[in-house]
Amino acid sequence: MLIADCGTTWTKIKRIEEEETSLIVRPTKEILEDRSLFFERGTGHMAKSRCAHYENELVALASGALSRIEEKDFTVVDVGSRDTKFVSFKNRSLERMDWNQACGASTGFTLELLSRYYEVDFNELGPSFEEISITCGVFAIEKVFDAILAGATPSESLARMVKGVARSVHSFAGSPKVVYLSGGLCENSCFLRSLSSFAEVIPLGRDLLLEGLEKLES
Amino acid sequence: MRKRYVGFYGCPPLEAIREACERTSSVPLDLDGDFGHPSAGILPATSCRIIRNIADNALFLKEELSCVVAAVGEDKCDAGRFLARILEEKGLEVFPVENKNRVRRKIVLATARMPLKEKMLAIMETVHTPFEGKAEFCEPSVAFWGVLPHDLRLLELFPDTTWVYGWTRCVEAGVPSDLSLEMEVDPRVKTIFFTQSFCAKQTLAKHLCEKHGGLLVDSDGPISHSLIAKVEAFLRFGNK
Repeated sequence: MLIADCGTTWTKIKRIEEEETSLIVRPTKEILEDRSLFFERGTGHMAKSRCAHYENELVALASGALSRIEEKDFTVVDVGSRDTKFVSFKNRSLERMDWNQACGASTGFTLELLSRYYEVDFNELGPSFEEISITCGVFAIEKVFDAILAGATPSESLARMVKGVARSVHSFAGSPKVVYLSGGLCENSCFLRSLSSFAEVIPLGRDLLLEGLEKLES
Repeated sequence: MRKRYVGFYGCPPLEAIREACERTSSVPLDLDGDFGHPSAGILPATSCRIIRNIADNALFLKEELSCVVAAVGEDKCDAGRFLARILEEKGLEVFPVENKNRVRRKIVLATARMPLKEKMLAIMETVHTPFEGKAEFCEPSVAFWGVLPHDLRLLELFPDTTWVYGWTRCVEAGVPSDLSLEMEVDPRVKTIFFTQSFCAKQTLAKHLCEKHGGLLVDSDGPISHSLIAKVEAFLRFGNK
């Protein structure tokens, strides 16, 4: 069985066979071009026309979190390419959730874009003590440029932005003491260490929504 | 062009609509809805979408409206009151009215088993034509608090056993300015509190949602993918 989480930039595909399962991550633009791919179950906006059974991302996230996390009370946050979403459970019942799609542009995609342009590897970058205040991606990029013009290195400027994104994500999720983190930024050590300034961070990787899809009854 | 309609918005007193229709030999037309008419461009972009609909509809249909019966009191909002004056200055005949009725009619539709979209539209029909039919009562599985949304697709996400609260319930009861009834919800039933973005009712919705628990959502124009996702997730995982 093939199941997929088709994000804006990256598509995560899980192949589930009797003996083993495997995870493949491919750029979504490749998936869009490859019309032969069809999934048993899918989530993510791009998956809608490519799967037999579709679930929205919040449902997949909530289902995956309930499957993976054993705590009674917890908050899980998924930071994607262009959005941030979270679900909070109390006594394993849904308490709060939100999805910042319109103003969440300053997330994965913007960071990837800037790291490529400035050739900065976030996994070799420490967290910054300073931060750039994040209201939206466009303003954040402008402030990165301003910081560089003021004499900061591109690396330091990007680290400040990452710290700002971390604060914004933490605040958006209701400032929990512990953040279970899902999504591609689990693989960004600068982000993980920056977010750790505000909360204990438990990264869950980028396949949590896929696990949610697996657990849901079709 | 023959003037065929008495336009109205909000929930004016029934007699005011009837009197205007009889006097002008016109039929009532609710201006709150999305008819797809072009923007009149007379209101700020941060106006509630329903108020913008009213302005767009009234000005586009100006030649077909014999008059507009405008709700301008506590039963509507300041934006409705200001719009009445603006429409008048744009050349429409406007009758500003307030609905202070406190005698509640029996609630039938808000607690009926039927698709929520159909139910909400039927309730809004009662503004000019009281409901005299029958509807099957149901126990609620979920509740919808709020107004008829600009984008009716939102209502298609809900089960047929959704009870209606908030201003729409007040409309069915014929008491659109009854704040006590507007604040009523059943705390045992999971409830989605909906308002149009930029509507003053957001203040009330947030308070009630924090008090009773539930999901607070708002929308401006067409509903977004994330709004649909939130409602679907709440319907699936929300417990009471």
